[in-house]
Amino acid sequence: MQVLSNLFARFRPTTVRTTAKDRMRSMLTYDRLELPAGRLECLEEELMAVVSRYFELDKSTTQFDLQQLDRRAQLIANFPLLRSKC
Amino acid sequence: MTGRVIVITSGKGGVGKTTASANLGVALASTGASVALVDMDIGLRNLDILMGLENRVVYNLVDVIEERCKLRQALVKDKRLPNLSLLPAAQTRDKSAVSADQMKELCKELSSIFEFVLVDSPAGIEQGFQNAVAGAHEAIVICTPEMSSVRDADRIIGLLEARKDEIEQYRLVVNRYRPNMVQANDMMSVEDVLEILSVELLGVVPEDEEIIVSTNKGEPVSGTDNCKSGLAYRNIARRLRGEDVPIMDFSAQNQTWINRIVNFFNPVRV
Repeated sequence: MQVLSNLFARFRPTTVRTTAKDRMRSMLTYDRLELPAGRLECLEEELMAVVSRYFELDKSTTQFDLQQLDRRAQLIANFPLLRSKC
Repeated sequence: MTGRVIVITSGKGGVGKTTASANLGVALASTGASVALVDMDIGLRNLDILMGLENRVVYNLVDVIEERCKLRQALVKDKRLPNLSLLPAAQTRDKSAVSADQMKELCKELSSIFEFVLVDSPAGIEQGFQNAVAGAHEAIVICTPEMSSVRDADRIIGLLEARKDEIEQYRLVVNRYRPNMVQANDMMSVEDVLEILSVELLGVVPEDEEIIVSTNKGEPVSGTDNCKSGLAYRNIARRLRGEDVPIMDFSAQNQTWINRIVNFFNPVRV
């Protein structure tokens, strides 16, 4: 039952309820870390610059996000590499 | 005897801390336990009104702390339940009239007399809140399923976590719940709130006009038999006493077969 409804959850349309939940999640992630807006983007740029010195990146598919695990945040960075630069 | 000292708090104002305190006091006392209700909202006293005891207040919490009277003199007995007492807040003073150490001392004394000491915390996270939690071992966090309330509840949970040595347990009560709005996908569900806050649920209280009526009468709803919010508070009291009482199923109300199918794909379980 749960599996089935989780499966269908992927196709769940955006509602006021899901909007509230998504906004809430991202707001609290920033609140809990006391992370000012724009700081994460700053880190992303710096990290990308470092990785780009070694690899050519597929910049269209990079992923850089904070996710919530219980009450802790984790940083998810996914930089697809095209080829090495050396 | 060492009674349980439980602080009722929320961060945000107006979400129902005082209403919950009054109702849980009445519900716990109705099960036979001896209960003290402590109004810590110094300067903005309200718990006496909800209990219908505003005309019986002689001394207050600050009088006890400043030794103008004995604790027993300041305690106001409930009209109906002899095992329920209120320690009123001072109305003409402010939060700085009490220190955290004095509160700890007071809670210790109260818990030697009563099985349950419920401390109604003021809104905010400043000294008033710090004093209210000072003597407590447990906390009940009240929040409504609205974004501002959930955000403030999260802040409170962070502060309670930082006091892990003193606060052994904290649980959430979702107040003013509107199942119809959740079913229409216009509001966060209890599950949504729990998932966001990662906290243990103590109970869900539905939105109920009876609360306004009962406040006007000075008789908390948990003392009456025929309303849903009163039942919700009585269930919470039983859970506090360690009974395993299932959370009310609000989603089963007014369901047509088409609703059931829709809900299967958009589960709302409370």
